[in-house]
Amino acid sequence: MTGAPDAPPAAGEVVLAARGLARSYGPVKAVTGVDLTVRGREIYGLVGPDGAGKTTTIRMLTGHIARAAGAVSILGHDPLGNGGAVRDALGYMPQQYSLYGDLTVDENLRFFASMFCLPRDLYRERREQLLGITRLARFTARRADALSGGMYKKLALACALLHRPRLLVLDEPTNGVDPVSRREFWDLLAEFVADGMAVLLSTPYMDEAARCHRVGLIHAGRLLLEGEPAAPLAASAHGAVRVDGGEREAVAAALQGHARVLALSPSGARVRVVVARGGEDEVAAVLQPLGARLHAVSPDFEDLFLARLHATGAVQEWTAPMAAGAVQDGTTPTEEASA
Amino acid sequence: MSRGFLIRVGALARKEIIHIIRDVRVIYMALGLPVVMLILFGYAVSFDLDRLPFALVDQDRTPASRRLVEALTGSDSFTVAVRLDDPRAVEPYFRSNRLKVGLVIPPGFGRRLQRGEVAEAQLLLDGADGTTTSIALGYAAGVGQAETRRLLAKTGLLGDLGLRDRVRLRFNPGMKSARFIVPGLIAAILAIMAVLLTALTVAREWERGSMEQLFATPVRRVEVVVGKLLPYVAIGMVQVLLVVAMGSLVFAVPVTGSLGLLFGAALLFLLGMLGQGVFISVVTRNQQVATQVGLLSSMLPTLLLSGFLTPVENMPLLLRAIAAILPARYFIQVLRGVMLKGNGLRELWPDLLALLAFALAMVAISTARFKRRLD
Repeated sequence: MTGAPDAPPAAGEVVLAARGLARSYGPVKAVTGVDLTVRGREIYGLVGPDGAGKTTTIRMLTGHIARAAGAVSILGHDPLGNGGAVRDALGYMPQQYSLYGDLTVDENLRFFASMFCLPRDLYRERREQLLGITRLARFTARRADALSGGMYKKLALACALLHRPRLLVLDEPTNGVDPVSRREFWDLLAEFVADGMAVLLSTPYMDEAARCHRVGLIHAGRLLLEGEPAAPLAASAHGAVRVDGGEREAVAAALQGHARVLALSPSGARVRVVVARGGEDEVAAVLQPLGARLHAVSPDFEDLFLARLHATGAVQEWTAPMAAGAVQDGTTPTEEASA
Repeated sequence: MSRGFLIRVGALARKEIIHIIRDVRVIYMALGLPVVMLILFGYAVSFDLDRLPFALVDQDRTPASRRLVEALTGSDSFTVAVRLDDPRAVEPYFRSNRLKVGLVIPPGFGRRLQRGEVAEAQLLLDGADGTTTSIALGYAAGVGQAETRRLLAKTGLLGDLGLRDRVRLRFNPGMKSARFIVPGLIAAILAIMAVLLTALTVAREWERGSMEQLFATPVRRVEVVVGKLLPYVAIGMVQVLLVVAMGSLVFAVPVTGSLGLLFGAALLFLLGMLGQGVFISVVTRNQQVATQVGLLSSMLPTLLLSGFLTPVENMPLLLRAIAAILPARYFIQVLRGVMLKGNGLRELWPDLLALLAFALAMVAISTARFKRRLD
């Protein structure tokens, strides 16, 4: 995913505010003490690996599940207490397929428009507009379950946008979507946010976080870090390096557990390493016998996230699931920039 | 009823109709199952005795013994399948299920009658098949009594004295099984189909995830329940029409009372059954489990505890208590009343009231249990 985030938004009003969200499934603490604020004209990205608690957090925010602790306010209403007011203001797209597969594109749109009691004229107008920008106009007679992954997601987005919600909540909207469709999807979001909408989305892909105005890094049910995607990168106290040469697995084995190595992740045929400031020489010395050299790159989200995990003492897998998004899209943009 | 209510219920019903039209299996099931069940039950479940074969052991071989056999076979209720010499030869036929009834006329039967003594004939029955044997027993005993009376009258001992029972069967003079099976069958078909179809359709929304999307809209729970039920109410009424028409054309079961009353009662019964289906799917949230629970909870009580095949009055207290809250029981009473007896509201209002109460209770309970939550 390329492209820097859009210009910083004019400070919109607070649309969604959550304090101290918590929820367990049996003995498993799915979410503990998550605070969130989303404003108008802002895309907030909840970024984290599978099983981090993203869906649980989102479902508590939308009132789809009860919360063990904490408070949620959507435009001043609790989604559990005053559901009606919240649902008129909320557009929601669940992670799993949740439209009616045996209904056509048009029938799905019409059904959800009816749920929001959209007047006929207004429905026609918005249908026209949404079909146009999602480029689904040619497929209105096709059944939803016959659509490709990307088209299905765009239909789901259109269904969630019919009633012009002030807050759009998307749970892993680009999961299972090809790179081209993902880019289109983000461009669509940018248009709606420019019109004043607030967006909260979750994603396991670090590269998508770069297109959010603000991100929260979530892991094991906790928010580890929150802020504008550019700011924490610039302020990072660590250096990211790419290891050139040497055999990848051998390099990884040599660096695993090294005191100065904060994070280790595969990047194509190479290894990316986050090194503590001032530790570059030590790491280079370890790699020399392997015939590998260090090459400084600018740190990206994944580096930051992995380093942060290291700091919390979490055990880190060598092949982190985080890499999936980057691999799907080819090389990561930051790497190209530094080459 | 707000404008939003009507719009959303209308949209939900329309969506449900599309589901039904595109899933042809539902239509096959809705129209095929009643026909199959009616034919199966109508022909297979019969308490009429029609040419039941039996083994005859006539060791007497006199005109008197032949007269007894003729009396038994005369009305086509029994027919002689095999003639044996030894009474012990009958049992192998019972064991191999070839026959269920045997008649043994011992030697001296005719002589004893001639002397005015008590003559005995033995009826052997296969008790393992209770239904057939009890019907056979009842019939054979009747024949025996009639023969006795005829013989007594001939000797002039009894003359015209004694009891003469005049039985008159009202509402089903020919004692045709179809006449009391078809009304019960209407109840059974409606119960099974209504519970099953709604249990499936609501559970499907949970299973396929559309419930999550639906809960993000302002739709209210009662709107989901009502909108989903409406198309199935229509299907149920078509089924009633189908079964009543077939019952009348194929099995000659009349509708002597008001058709309007019949359909009104069917509507109340349907609402209760559909509510039960929604309740099951709201609790199970799974199509497979909902199917099984739906089938068990609708079919078993309707077939066994409703008075469909066996009278409720003969059941133990606990089962009678369950039967008392079973809507099928009241519905069958209404159906038999309307179809066979020509009863009207004056006789049937307590049953209709019971059906209404069950329908309201079920819709209320299922709506209450229907949480707008995924957990």
